Amino acid sequence: MTATTQQQVFEIIATQAKIDVATIKPESTLKDLGIASLEAIELIFDIEEHFDITFPDQQGANFDSDTAQSLVDAVQKALDEKAAAGEGAK
Amino acid sequence: MQGRPVRRVAITGMGAISPLGVGANALWQGLCEGRSAIGPLQHVDAGRLRVKVAAQVPASFDPAANIDERTLPMLDRTSEFALHAAREAVAQSGLDFASNGLGLRTAVIVGTGVGGETTQDEQSRRLYGENSNRAHPLTIVRLMTNASASQISIAWGLRGPTFAVASACASANHAIIQAAQMIRWGLADVAITGGTEACLTYGALRAWEAMRVLADDTCRPFSVNRRGLVLGEGAGIFVLESMEHAQARGATILAELAGSGMTADATDIVMPSADGAASAMRQALDDAGLAPQDVDYINAHGTGTQANDVTETKAIHLAFGAHADRLAVSSTKSMHGHALGASGALELVAAIGALRDNVVPPTANLDKVDPACDLDYVPNVAREMPVRAVLSNSFAFGGLNAVLALKRAP
Repeated sequence: MTATTQQQVFEIIATQAKIDVATIKPESTLKDLGIASLEAIELIFDIEEHFDITFPDQQGANFDSDTAQSLVDAVQKALDEKAAAGEGAK
Repeated sequence: MQGRPVRRVAITGMGAISPLGVGANALWQGLCEGRSAIGPLQHVDAGRLRVKVAAQVPASFDPAANIDERTLPMLDRTSEFALHAAREAVAQSGLDFASNGLGLRTAVIVGTGVGGETTQDEQSRRLYGENSNRAHPLTIVRLMTNASASQISIAWGLRGPTFAVASACASANHAIIQAAQMIRWGLADVAITGGTEACLTYGALRAWEAMRVLADDTCRPFSVNRRGLVLGEGAGIFVLESMEHAQARGATILAELAGSGMTADATDIVMPSADGAASAMRQALDDAGLAPQDVDYINAHGTGTQANDVTETKAIHLAFGAHADRLAVSSTKSMHGHALGASGALELVAAIGALRDNVVPPTANLDKVDPACDLDYVPNVAREMPVRAVLSNSFAFGGLNAVLALKRAP
């Protein structure tokens, strides 16, 4: 059984924030989790690398209010678009 | 600093290569017209980049014009810009460095954020992309950060203190301040100084994309719909001279570089601090012997990022108190883009122009002022008004602040 998108995203957040993954709730904001400015950009990079996706430029720019769930949703959206665009789309 | 500086500093020459064209006048005229040089990114790899817009030096710039064949192969694009701008500045100053040993009494201090990035990028592509075993033999002399300063020194036989200054987006202002201090304290009579940058390479553009601070439309400083900064390139080079020296030879003085302030935030590597910026502005005022109410115009750092514009506004309030509301504040980056290590130099052309012509260049693309930005940003149209003294702000990644204070020529 492969991990769900949410589990994978939460694991990446936990690693970046150096916190226990169990403490992350869908409604936690990045700010709540102690992730600010540069760490947030690194987090976006880690997620993009992990899923081989690219977030639109302005997405994830508001680190104060973005929640863990909004990141999961953004990943899912990007994965769906990638699947729709067909295999090998990068 | 205790006591008054020994000597006053005059600016007697300026030159620029900018996205608004070749020459300081092309830059100043473009700014006065509120003309933005930001356009679609012209790059061989544009198709695969997410960066869509940039402020680039137009193709009409001919790097080979008036540069001898033996020098040309030594030059990265950064040094090409710097040498052309220096030639314009030196010509305007009317100085002859060969006479009276002036070359030995002349410093060359040029700011650049990264130096020979085009060279670095080309050689990396060759080595890692094409698996070549050989780098070009002139790679080092092209890419070294001091290349521009050294080429200027060689071109005019300038044998005083010569080196580069690097402080990311504040490089030009830090370099200009260093040059002014040399003159103030008698280490040189003349200094050639400014900043140069040419780093719109594939690698650098990818790195900026990853930081997620680039606008995808245009640069809209202080506007509620701003989406980030727009990268630029170019060089601004100036001739500084002790006031005494300039007056004795009857030189035309463009402006007085009256003071400066330099501070570090010592907080975050990228997030700016209002306190750090405000203390640099206060220092510049004190150093120039200016009261807040003596200043009419601030050329803002004004990058168009969410963080800068609000923080800089706060900093101006902190430094100027009640007078903040009476200042004209504009960001010319809305027109010439963010030329990083050259930005303070391009903006000094604007500051000098404002003092000389009593015209404040506008903030272009200012659709709707952000409620968190509550100063007079001179939206979209230049303003004729008396300009007695000016501050020019540069704030860099790394939390480094460098502010110039200028007065009208005496």
